[in-house]
Amino acid sequence: MKGWRPSPPLLLLLPAVIVLAAVVVLPLLLSLYSSFTPFRLTKPETLWVFIGARNYVNLLTNGDFWIAFARTVVLLTVALNLEMLIGLGLALLVEKASRGQRILRTIMMFPMMFSPILVGFQFKFMFNDNIGLVNNALQALGLTDRAIPWLIDGNLAFIAILTAEIWSSTSVFAILILAGLLAMPREPVEAARVDGCTPWQTFRYVTWPFIMPFAFIAMTIRSLDVARAYDIVKIMTDGGPAGRTELVWTLVARTAYSDARMGLANAMAYFSILLSILFTVYFYRKLAAARTQIAAEW
Amino acid sequence: MDQNSLHRARNRALGIAHGVGLFLAMLVICLPGIWIVLSSLRPTVEIMAKPPVWIPRELSLDAYVAMFSGIGKGGIPVLDYFRNSLIISVTSTVIAIVIGMAGGYAFARYRFRAKSAMFLGLMLTRTVPGIALSLPLFFVFARLGIIDTHFGLILVYVALNVPFTIWLIDGFFRQVPKDLAEAAQIDGCTRWQAFWQVEFPLAGPGIASAGIFAFLTSWNEFALASQLTRSINSKTLPVGLLDYTAEFTIDWRGMCALAVVMIIPALTLTFIVQKHLVGGLTSGAVKG
Repeated sequence: MKGWRPSPPLLLLLPAVIVLAAVVVLPLLLSLYSSFTPFRLTKPETLWVFIGARNYVNLLTNGDFWIAFARTVVLLTVALNLEMLIGLGLALLVEKASRGQRILRTIMMFPMMFSPILVGFQFKFMFNDNIGLVNNALQALGLTDRAIPWLIDGNLAFIAILTAEIWSSTSVFAILILAGLLAMPREPVEAARVDGCTPWQTFRYVTWPFIMPFAFIAMTIRSLDVARAYDIVKIMTDGGPAGRTELVWTLVARTAYSDARMGLANAMAYFSILLSILFTVYFYRKLAAARTQIAAEW
Repeated sequence: MDQNSLHRARNRALGIAHGVGLFLAMLVICLPGIWIVLSSLRPTVEIMAKPPVWIPRELSLDAYVAMFSGIGKGGIPVLDYFRNSLIISVTSTVIAIVIGMAGGYAFARYRFRAKSAMFLGLMLTRTVPGIALSLPLFFVFARLGIIDTHFGLILVYVALNVPFTIWLIDGFFRQVPKDLAEAAQIDGCTRWQAFWQVEFPLAGPGIASAGIFAFLTSWNEFALASQLTRSINSKTLPVGLLDYTAEFTIDWRGMCALAVVMIIPALTLTFIVQKHLVGGLTSGAVKG
């Protein structure tokens, strides 16, 4: 019998599609549905009560949620930009090094191996107001004689979390941008020098366009995983004290598991999913654009 | 001062500034890790000391001994957590690599409709924040009775790792010239044989590093594991770390010791793959 035969790529992709459908897509559909119900874990029968968009309306009028949402967006924007800049600086520093590049590169990868939960813990330890390395150092240097409440004051805690976030993710940028710098042909740079470009002009108009796709790869990889900030915040402050460092993700976890209000939490979770998708799609498109540009020029 | 020596002085100043900058950057990167290792070896009294003790007076492995000596003696069941982490990470990595190899090969070697949309779609499943995904999974797994089992977590980690594995492996297969496999086929290999005997060995190191990357993701994952595990049946190390904070006082030294136990396998593996990892991620960048 000569029936329809699926094409090879389809067959090859099938396992991936099945797993992802079963573990990600279907559960997400379920959670989409339950975001339209007043579902509570303690009362399973509430899963069948349909209340329309009331959860979403609740959220849209909920000040705490919007504050957490805005805080998340600010954290991500500041963190990603700083990571990009610091990563670029680090890559340039390492590329200029004449000796020991290998060992420098290895050290640079160091933070990548740390689980976010470990990063959170180690910075919680270092920023501890009483026994933390940061306060101890500041006091030993005589810069201050009081214990700075790093993780207790809202703004300071934001800075502490930002530091942890940047420490853990800058290396992704640095490594990929460095890979770009090393893969770059020498001639255009030399030609620019000969033509009388200043170092800044050489960087801006020759080097930067070339390493841009690498920076966007880093951005895309990074934005796939923006929610890892949850792990860091969870252990550093757990959204506290009194919700002063609450991010969307910690709020979702609290609403779902502590308050057991699954329906509402699912509605919230959809905002956070949307946020992640927006970040990823944005950078992915930038990446595609940068790729075609490079392909056209080189 | 003539122009020549001025120039030389400037170059030297720049060189020194560069060295200092590099040193400071590396210090910031290394310091937290060093501090953790150091703290795990010091007695708690020294960690808590006011004014701080900078140079440790005595080093001991007490924290590690206490940690591995079981629950009764102030430790946590680290061995169980370690075993769970290992089983779950290794199994899910192997499965994710097999699935990822099939998918990556499809993206690298075939043209088909909606290819880039498909690729983006797969990547987008990875963007779903763990905590958001944990809500429906928690409910479904509870219904299926696979909460707090290795199986449940393995399933989740496979799905978590497949998209990125496909991305990486796609990149590695692209680096293998198409002509090689075609030549093998002309010489009488089937496509299947050509894959295993020509393309697979060439892409092998890359695939291995994709595997290590997947392993690290599973090893380090917290958001999902924290909700889908309950007891020593399936709790992994990252979740176990929170055991120390559950009480009113935090056992800093114990946590540091556990952190070191967690980081050592990750550290070793990353060093092995670092070279290939970057290659796989960037191979598509320039060629498109």
